[in-house]
Amino acid sequence: MQRKLSELGFGDTGVVAGIKKSRHDLNCMGVRVGKKLKMITKQPIKGPVVVLIGEAEVAMGLELAEEVMIDVSEPV
Amino acid sequence: MEGNPGGDAGNGSTVLLIGNPNVGKSMLFNRLTGVNAVVSNYPGTTVDFTRGTLIMHKKTYEIIDVPGTYSLEAKDLAEEVAIKMLNEHRDGVVVVVLDATLIERGMYLLFEVIERGFSLVVALNMMDVAHDKQIAVDARRLQQILGVPVVPMTAISGEGVKDLIDILRKACVTDVMGIKSRLSGDAAETPAISGCTGCGRC
Repeated sequence: MQRKLSELGFGDTGVVAGIKKSRHDLNCMGVRVGKKLKMITKQPIKGPVVVLIGEAEVAMGLELAEEVMIDVSEPV
Repeated sequence: MEGNPGGDAGNGSTVLLIGNPNVGKSMLFNRLTGVNAVVSNYPGTTVDFTRGTLIMHKKTYEIIDVPGTYSLEAKDLAEEVAIKMLNEHRDGVVVVVLDATLIERGMYLLFEVIERGFSLVVALNMMDVAHDKQIAVDARRLQQILGVPVVPMTAISGEGVKDLIDILRKACVTDVMGIKSRLSGDAAETPAISGCTGCGRC
């Protein structure tokens, strides 16, 4: 099952299944298709999200997080 | 003593420190030059470049501390500065500084530098933090695969900095196809660097 990254809750994990936006900055920061990630911070009032990929924390705006599809069917 | 006609590392006199934000480029710059560049523990501290000089083995290097960038496609002004500095010093030596605890993230930028055909050395900074976090880094294997010198170091304590300086003249160009074939095991390992203890191409 796929969900938007922006819909994941605190502590949820998943695998990046796709990034819809064509021009984005995520690849170079380590967010790529097939990578496991964990939501570690979710700010209220449409605030940014922070995900943990390996040892690296990557923060992004909620708008960008809406473009990232996460496969949550398999437990990571 | 400047200049090295026919040298194996471009003209070897300009050295650019390139890497992701917050990997310790400025700390390394201070170690190399004695200049007091502003260092802090958050990304984006360096927004403009700083120049300094290093004299080693009677050879003068101009060291340039470049703002951190995640890619060579500029997304902000600091990254534009980094890319401009690279374009202006195409014959210089690039030291790609990687955070040993976040090597994978730095690979994207490393490969962009490789693709552009720069003569380069990889500095694996923050080895002390990697030890603390129990992250094992096989610098020797990384060097064999990449085909360029990989130097494990810790800028904050100065460990490995001399190794890095000694290896600057061994900086070389590598290519993505070669790395790919070494990764898949198709190609023999580069004779110049196999059998080395991991400190460099000596």
